[in-house]
Amino acid sequence: MERRLPQFFFALSMIVLALMLGAIWQAGSPTWKTYQQEFHRLEAVGEPNAAAKSDVVNAALVIRQDLLPGLQRVDRCTTCHLGAEDPTMKNAPQPFAFHANLAPHIPARFGCTVCHGGQGLATDKQNAHGKVPFWQEPLLPREYIRASCGRCHKEGEVPGVPELADGRRLFETQGCRGCHKLNGVGGTIGPDLTEEGAIRRFPEWLERHFLDPNAVSRNSPMPNFHFTKEQARALTFYMLSLTSEQMGTYYSSVRLIPSASYGRELFVEKNCIACHSIGGVGAKNGPDLGQAAKQHSPGWLDEQLVNPQLIYPGSTMPAYDLETNARKAIIAFMASATAEDAQSILAQRTKPLTPEDAAIEAGKQSFARFGCVGCHGLQLQGGVPNPNSQGGEVPSLLHASDDYTKEEVIKIIQNGKVPPVENTAKPAAPLYMPPWKSVLTDEDIHRIADYLWSLQKKKDAW
Amino acid sequence: MNPFREAWQSIVRRDPLSTDKGKSELVFLNVWLHIHPAKVKKENLKVKHTFYLGFITFFLFLILVTTGVALMVYYRPQSPQAYQDMKDLQFVVYLGTFLRNMHRWAAHGMVICVFLHMCRVFYTGSYKRPRQFNWVIGVVLFLLTLGLSFTGYLLPWDQLAFWAITVGTNIGSYAPLMGARIRELLLGGHTVGESALLRFYVLHVAVLPALITLFTMVHFWRMRKDGGLSRPVWKLDQDEPAQLVTIGAPATIAPLAAVPASQDKTYGLMEVVTGRPIFETVSMEEEEDAVFSYPYAFFREGIALLVTVATVMAVSLFWKAPLEELANPAKTPNPAKAPWYFLGLQELVSHSALLGGVIVPTLAVLALIAIPYIDSNPSRRPADRKWAIRAFTLFVVVNVVLIIVGTFFRGPGWAFVPPWVHIAGAE
Amino acid sequence: MKRRSFVSWGTAGLVALCSGIGVSLAAVVRFLTPSVFYEPPQTFKIGDPGDFSYGPPTFLSEEKIFVFRDREKGFAVASAVCTHLGCTVGYFQSDERFHCPCHGSVFNADGTVQHGPAPRPLEWFEVTLARDGQLRVDKDHAVPASYRLVVSS
Repeated sequence: MERRLPQFFFALSMIVLALMLGAIWQAGSPTWKTYQQEFHRLEAVGEPNAAAKSDVVNAALVIRQDLLPGLQRVDRCTTCHLGAEDPTMKNAPQPFAFHANLAPHIPARFGCTVCHGGQGLATDKQNAHGKVPFWQEPLLPREYIRASCGRCHKEGEVPGVPELADGRRLFETQGCRGCHKLNGVGGTIGPDLTEEGAIRRFPEWLERHFLDPNAVSRNSPMPNFHFTKEQARALTFYMLSLTSEQMGTYYSSVRLIPSASYGRELFVEKNCIACHSIGGVGAKNGPDLGQAAKQHSPGWLDEQLVNPQLIYPGSTMPAYDLETNARKAIIAFMASATAEDAQSILAQRTKPLTPEDAAIEAGKQSFARFGCVGCHGLQLQGGVPNPNSQGGEVPSLLHASDDYTKEEVIKIIQNGKVPPVENTAKPAAPLYMPPWKSVLTDEDIHRIADYLWSLQKKKDAW
Repeated sequence: MNPFREAWQSIVRRDPLSTDKGKSELVFLNVWLHIHPAKVKKENLKVKHTFYLGFITFFLFLILVTTGVALMVYYRPQSPQAYQDMKDLQFVVYLGTFLRNMHRWAAHGMVICVFLHMCRVFYTGSYKRPRQFNWVIGVVLFLLTLGLSFTGYLLPWDQLAFWAITVGTNIGSYAPLMGARIRELLLGGHTVGESALLRFYVLHVAVLPALITLFTMVHFWRMRKDGGLSRPVWKLDQDEPAQLVTIGAPATIAPLAAVPASQDKTYGLMEVVTGRPIFETVSMEEEEDAVFSYPYAFFREGIALLVTVATVMAVSLFWKAPLEELANPAKTPNPAKAPWYFLGLQELVSHSALLGGVIVPTLAVLALIAIPYIDSNPSRRPADRKWAIRAFTLFVVVNVVLIIVGTFFRGPGWAFVPPWVHIAGAE
Repeated sequence: MKRRSFVSWGTAGLVALCSGIGVSLAAVVRFLTPSVFYEPPQTFKIGDPGDFSYGPPTFLSEEKIFVFRDREKGFAVASAVCTHLGCTVGYFQSDERFHCPCHGSVFNADGTVQHGPAPRPLEWFEVTLARDGQLRVDKDHAVPASYRLVVSS
């Protein structure tokens, strides 16, 4: 035994040495190095002479990263995706292919994962593409990548991504807030959607959910809205854009892409046509804006919008409190607007409403905005299934005046109401009227009641 | 003399290892090795006696310190950078995955081995007089090991870490009077957050390693003073003859005195006053079955070290330490489980917070500490200790079963779900 | 160990130990060498050639470089870091020289030290044309002061 001990010791030392070398071998041959070598070979083809070729082929193999403190990310995608900014790699195979239309979203400022998803910290394919357990942001499928624009560009139209604005519009008009909170406003029957874009970045699931909620989420109280495929996709895009990721000021200042169409919206909202004309059409209190856009630089126009008194002291033009991008949008609209635009804007102006009509209109806006339509329907028809409640569904509001006085309805809106149960042995009904007194002002609630009362179907007269 | 030779001899000041004197001097002239006796009893070296578990536990600790310091170069104990650093260790740092794996598996191994070592010491009755207090030090070392593992568990700052420590500290808060206060001090707040991460880091890399080193020193010192590794149990049938040591030069000169063999094999000036250097006055033949530590003990220890290192390395090459998603205080995984060595505790807590979480574990630890003092049976023979052995075995089995139940038989909501039933739809 | 073998176990053990230590040391040094830098990159693009004016150099404050553009000779990029103790120098058109505010070093237009405590001339960095047509500066490659990148416009 004793004689063998040094031999054992030596043999074990050899084994430990072998394991050490095994670990070194495991660590020393990452796949990204292979990719970089291949890319260098591709690059060398385009070099003019042998010396340049050899320089390129023998270039050092390093992990490349884009440090993005403003986005709180570190993206190492360019370690393998080396041809992204190289136009000569247009026809190269992945991962070397050229990425068209990158500017201004260059990797040095934006990285890659903020649009594409994936795990930027990783340096091997599977982990980097995020298709691994415990990574919540896998690579987005091709058709959904544009939804990421909404992560930064949160207002107005985003050129090339109409789905975002469509989705937002659907969300506001279909009454989603009745059950779902978004940015603090909404109901509590369904989950809060403020971070939906961060929690559930699985577009296929989201789309199937919009087409038929019960198919993906068993026993969900969410009714089937019978969305078309396009609507479901628009809503999916909108969901994917919902994150409250903290982004540095450089990034958050681009919430709005200044576009002429958004400029037009602002133009109408601020009622510029009340004092100005375009192409000769409109009011004559201030200069014609089409002319002004031709005669002055955008910088000058911007100054005027910020402080009208600076250039024309004593001017009656009010100072509007507009963000940089909003001002850019208005100027863009002014540069492209014609007399026809002014005509259509004038035609859209409605006569001023009576105070009663204004209250009803405000009530209608609140009814849609705070999600009441989600359960009670756009035409107040109700009908959304509510298992085990008396009646089995959300009641129609068109006959509310038969059963309640206006004051009683106001109280119900303020304090909420749980529907009576059909069968006490079964679980309680999932849908209920939540209390709104902490969300809506008394005025809002009164206006909603006015709106409801304006639509009541009269009892058949005897 | 050749200047190289002189330089060498200024560093290595002992006789060559081919001589007995050299073999002795290698031990008692060397600061790292002199905790050993120059000679050990051959029977104490048998693997079947101790399984070298104490050594293995210590070597695992050394592996943990080495890999731990390496990991410290790339780790920041701050949220959320801690998680990013874990990812960097995995993707960017050379040998990062390997070192992290080594650290994790060595940690689990150390908890297991320190427990097995405790069992072995009990079963061989090695805690009996005069070694009672060393057993208590051992229990303290066991608790420190659990503490090190627990504090380290939080550092990756992923869901697994965050919720395991949330559960663990909440179990501790059930202790009456002190529980909530201790939890507050540990966490530096009301919940697991930035302060908790930093405090756990300080505990893990500075305070607890220092404490465990100090107690280990005492543990080793006491063992040496108590005679080294205790005699194997199967040798207890033979009577131990009274050992006498002859003090004097070898046979040619009449012995000056015969003194009882000292437990710790140290014969100092207090014991022998002859005016001559120790190694001239003490006969080296006092024990028939004693062999030199070099090479008998050292090669065996070296092999134990290599086996430990090789095993940890091999496991680290093939099994990855887990890393789940970033810690999210708003999202509790279902079920949320404490680290595996506390799962038995969590199982008890699920039945009764105060009884299961505080009273039973406290009594268990106190009982462990009391074992050498309540055990009045002087015999170490298994035949004479049937009930002690049965009681301890029951304790071990209950612990293991509780941990198995907690690990494999508890599903969402802490419902009892056998592992062979597929749990569908768990997110 | 009575039998003699070709290489005694002791020697073999020693060789194993030394190679093990050697490998470990090499691995430790490689481990400590950072693979990525949490700093702005040494190689970066500065824009299209057309973005830069002729005459006095364009100063890029974040990257701490001066970009020269000469009608005949082309582009050159100089470091704005004083070689004395690292302050950022400024270019003065009045005497077409670089002045360092910290200890008064003055560099000529080609980077050589005119007077002052600076021990070495200002560094010039390699500037090349990237495949997408932008100028690329590489701070890891120093070039002589006479280096120019000619860009056909």
